[in-house]
Amino acid sequence: MTSETRQQAAPAEVAGARPPVRRRGRFAGLVVALSVAVVASTWLAVSIGAIPVALSDAWGIVADRVVPGVVPGVVPRTWTPVQEQIVWEFRLPRALLALLVGAGLAVVGAVLQALVRNPLADPFLLGVSSGASFGAVLVLILGASALGGLSLSAAAFAGSLLALVLVYVLAQRSGRITPSRLVLAGVALAYLFQAAYSFVLQLAQSGRAAQQVLFWLMGSLGGARWDVLPLPALVLVAGVAYLLLQYRPLNALAAGEETAISLGVNVNRFRLSLFVLTSLLVGVMVATSGAIAFVGLIVPHAARLLVGADHRRVLPVTALLGAVFLQLVDIAARTVNAPQELALSIVTALFGVPFFLWLLRRRSADRAVNVS
Amino acid sequence: MKLDLRNVSVAADGTPIVHEADLLVADGEFVTLVGPNGCGKSTLLRAIYRALRPTAGLITVDGDDVHRLPARQAAQRTAVVAQETPADLDFTVSEIVRMGRTPYRADARADEELCARALDRVGLSGAAGRIFATLSGGEKQRVLLARALAQQTRLLLLDEPTSHLDIRHQLEILHLVRELGIATLAVLHDLNQATAFSDRLYVMSAGRIVAGGPPEQVLTPDLISQVYGVRAVHRTQLVFERLKEEQ
Repeated sequence: MTSETRQQAAPAEVAGARPPVRRRGRFAGLVVALSVAVVASTWLAVSIGAIPVALSDAWGIVADRVVPGVVPGVVPRTWTPVQEQIVWEFRLPRALLALLVGAGLAVVGAVLQALVRNPLADPFLLGVSSGASFGAVLVLILGASALGGLSLSAAAFAGSLLALVLVYVLAQRSGRITPSRLVLAGVALAYLFQAAYSFVLQLAQSGRAAQQVLFWLMGSLGGARWDVLPLPALVLVAGVAYLLLQYRPLNALAAGEETAISLGVNVNRFRLSLFVLTSLLVGVMVATSGAIAFVGLIVPHAARLLVGADHRRVLPVTALLGAVFLQLVDIAARTVNAPQELALSIVTALFGVPFFLWLLRRRSADRAVNVS
Repeated sequence: MKLDLRNVSVAADGTPIVHEADLLVADGEFVTLVGPNGCGKSTLLRAIYRALRPTAGLITVDGDDVHRLPARQAAQRTAVVAQETPADLDFTVSEIVRMGRTPYRADARADEELCARALDRVGLSGAAGRIFATLSGGEKQRVLLARALAQQTRLLLLDEPTSHLDIRHQLEILHLVRELGIATLAVLHDLNQATAFSDRLYVMSAGRIVAGGPPEQVLTPDLISQVYGVRAVHRTQLVFERLKEEQ
C-alpha cells in the first residue's frame, strides 16, 4: 500500500517541475528582447520633444556623428542644424544617462535586497539616497569651495558612504546584521538626512536655488551632457561586471548568512565589498540625476518574477529592465506636461506605489518584515 | 577525515555557552550529540562550521584548525544541514542544490551532473524545477541534504535534521545519511533514534559534554534523569522501522 501511494505521488512531482532547459532559453530570449527595447526606447527618446525629429532623421543624425560621412551616400540629410544640435547635444546624452541611472539604481536595489534578505530594501529605505542628496545639496547651496572643492559627484558619494556606514554601524551587533534593525536604522537615518538638507535649504533662503534643488531632489535628467556620462558609465560597467562574477556568493548570501558561511563565503568581507559598491553606484547616480525613487524597489522584483531568484539571471535582466523603465519614465516626464518637465520621482511613484502596496500584500513580504 | 575538538569553549553575543568541550568524529563514523534544549549543542556545531569563533580551544578537521583555513577550503571539507532555510526568494530546487558548488571553481556541466546525482540520491530528481518555498518540510530537508551532498565533503554536520518531519521521513533521512558513510556529527532530539543510529554519542548538559561513548553504555537511566530531569523507563512499546523500498 505504502509503495503504491508513493508511486502515485511521483508523477505529481514531475508535473510541477519546470525543465531547466526551457527556462534558460527563455532567459536568452528575454535578454535579446530587452536589449531591443533598450535601443528602441532610446531611439524614441531622442526623437520626441518640443522640437520633433523624425525617427529616421534621429537615426541619421546619430549615425552621421558616430561615423562621419557615412550618411550622405545612404540617407539624404533631411534634418536642420537645430535638430542636429538638439539630438546630439541634449537628447542623446540625456537618453544614455537615463539608461545608465535606471540600470544602476535597479541593480543596487537587487543587491541590497539580497544583502539584507528583505524584499522591501531599496536605496531609499536604507538611507543611502538621502545621504547622497544631503552631500549634493550642501555643494549646490553652499558652493563647492565651502566643502574644500568637493565636486557634486564626490559630495554625493561621500554622503552616501556616510549614510551607509552609519546604517551599518547602527544595524550590526557584534558583527552580525539583523535585517529588521538594518531597515529601521536605514529609515531613521533617511529621515535624519532629509531633515538636514531641508534645514540647509531653508537657511539658504534663495528661492530660485532652493527651487532647483527641490526639483533635483525629486530626480531629473535635465543636467545630462556628454561630459557627465563617463563616470556613471564606468562605475556601472565595473560594478555589474564584479557582481556578475560574484553571483554565487550573492545567491548564498540571499539564502542566509549561516548558509553562506557554511558554503565558504567570507561573509564579512563580501558584505563590506557590496556595501562599498552599492554606495559608490548610488552616490554617482544620485549626483548626476538626483534621488529617483522606486526604480531600485520595483525593477528587481519584476526581474525576479520573470527569471526567478538566481542572480546570474536576475542581475542582467534587472539592469536592462531598469534602463528601459527609466527611459520610458523620462519620456513621460518630458511629454505629459510639456513644456514643463515632471520630476522623475513623480512618474516612478505613480507606477511604484501601487506595486509597493501589492508587494506588501504578499505573504512572503509580510514574513520577511516580521522576521528579525 | 577526522573532526577533533579539544577543550573548546564558545560564546554567543558575549555570553559563554559551551565550556571546554572535547569531541571526536572519526572517518565514516556517525556521531550524535544529544542534550536538553539550550544546552549548547547548536552553538557547538556553529563553531565547527565557523559561524562562531571559539573563545578557547582548538577545532581541527583533518588536522587543520578550521578557523585558520581559508573560508572556501573549510567549506570544501565540511557541509552543513542547519535549521535556517532560505525562505523569501524564489530559488528553485536545482538552484538551491547548485549552491553546494559555491566553494569550488564553477564548471557548468560537471556541476549540473553532480547536482542531479545529489537530488537523485535524496529521491527528488523530479522536483528540480520546483520553487523551494513551495515544498513540504520533509522535501525541504531533503533538498538541503542534497545541497550538502553536492558540496562533496567528507564531514557532514546536521542540526536537528529530523525536526518538523513525520516518523517515516525522519527514518528516511537518517538511513540516507548512514548509508552515505560520511563522517557525520548530528544533533538529535529523539534519544531512541540517537541510540539506533549512532556509532557513538555525546551528551551535553549546561554547556558541558558530560558523557560520551557507545549509546547503550552512555544513555543510562541515571544519566538521563540527571541531564533531562525525567525518569527513563523500559517498556514494551511500538518500534518504528522503515519499510524497504520496493523497486
